[in-house]
Amino acid sequence: MSGAFAVATHGLSVRYGSKTALAGVDLRVPEGAVYVLVGANGAGKSTTMKVLLNLERRDAGRAEVFGLDTVARGPEVRAQVGYIPESHEHAYAWMTCGRLIQHAAAHYPAWDHAYAGHLIEVFGIGLQRKVATLSKGETRRLQLVLALAHRPPLLLLDEPTDGLDPVVRNRTLAHLAEHLADTPTTVLISTHHIHEVESLADHVGVLREGLLVAQMTRDELRRTVVRYRIEVPEGWQPPPELRTAGLRRSHAGREAQWTLVGEPRDVTARLAGAGATVREVAPLSLEEAALAFLAEEVSA
Amino acid sequence: MLVNLDPNDGRPLYLQIMDEVRRAIVVGTLRAEDPLPSVRELAAELVVNPRTVSQAYQELEREGIVYVRRGQGTFVSPSVRRGGGERRRNLAREVAKRALLEARRNGLDTEELVMAIQKLAAEEEDK
Repeated sequence: MSGAFAVATHGLSVRYGSKTALAGVDLRVPEGAVYVLVGANGAGKSTTMKVLLNLERRDAGRAEVFGLDTVARGPEVRAQVGYIPESHEHAYAWMTCGRLIQHAAAHYPAWDHAYAGHLIEVFGIGLQRKVATLSKGETRRLQLVLALAHRPPLLLLDEPTDGLDPVVRNRTLAHLAEHLADTPTTVLISTHHIHEVESLADHVGVLREGLLVAQMTRDELRRTVVRYRIEVPEGWQPPPELRTAGLRRSHAGREAQWTLVGEPRDVTARLAGAGATVREVAPLSLEEAALAFLAEEVSA
Repeated sequence: MLVNLDPNDGRPLYLQIMDEVRRAIVVGTLRAEDPLPSVRELAAELVVNPRTVSQAYQELEREGIVYVRRGQGTFVSPSVRRGGGERRRNLAREVAKRALLEARRNGLDTEELVMAIQKLAAEEEDK
């Protein structure tokens, strides 16, 4: 890995009136990564993408795409991005799909006409259809054609699978994998359905109420956020340092189950040192591991 | 060759892909000079980042299990023989590791597990 970032934000903050949408976010998306940004609705995922495209103003901090400031170099940044907005509404609802695709082709010098034709076929776009008459799923498919056909080096996909039925969703994600094999691309996907894009993700960021509470590689997340099943003496109290590292726990008699963050070797040693016998160290699915950061006990 | 990824397996995806290739060689579904699926094909089939597949193939190449023919793809090395001793031992080790983990989870020690396996195997042979 070259160590360069396709996307980097530095202390990025956005406020809507008195409400904080993003609070000092330092997002780092390495070039070539498929980075999945997870969080509840309203956590700041869409705002992050809009700031990167300069569609949303920032209150503090800055953002760079391929080293270009997103405010000072907005048009250059946007030319390098394929974007699927969260909204299914389209500004050109009165156009036919074919007309809209021509319109986009004229806009991007890098438009690949042959590839666009292939995508239109793959995603079954009816060129004569009026954009306004498309269903949610059809709109998503049209947006995918528009985002991919100019082979941009960065894809910003805001809930890309929203509205797609399971069959189309799988075909779309498989197609995205092929696209990445053919075109060097960095992908930033926001979703609250991480299991839908789980296998594709190699980096994960977790947004919680405007704060980026976790950011790491998939492998690191799965290695360091695991569930420990422990046997404990009656009335056992966890040592203080583990109380802060614990994300979720449940108790049943002398057995406790705990999701903890840290090197499993260290955590196991600490638990043993505190009088608990570790019975099982179980990996979590990517979704469970990411969601652990959204649990209420995070800083308890 | 069929490659399956287990979403409950905590190991990195590239290691899982490597293991699937090794297993296919041990059981004989992949033989010397057989082509591996292209990075593009396997990435689309598994819905993973193509870079994950590339990483698995590069590691396998480093281990001498596969080699790259420029412009043609990745192939199983001619020296690889089905069920080579070391490869079988490694596979057995992985299977044993999983069994051991499961035993510990259930509060069983190694001896109890080994005895149970031997008893079960003897019973199955009698059938």
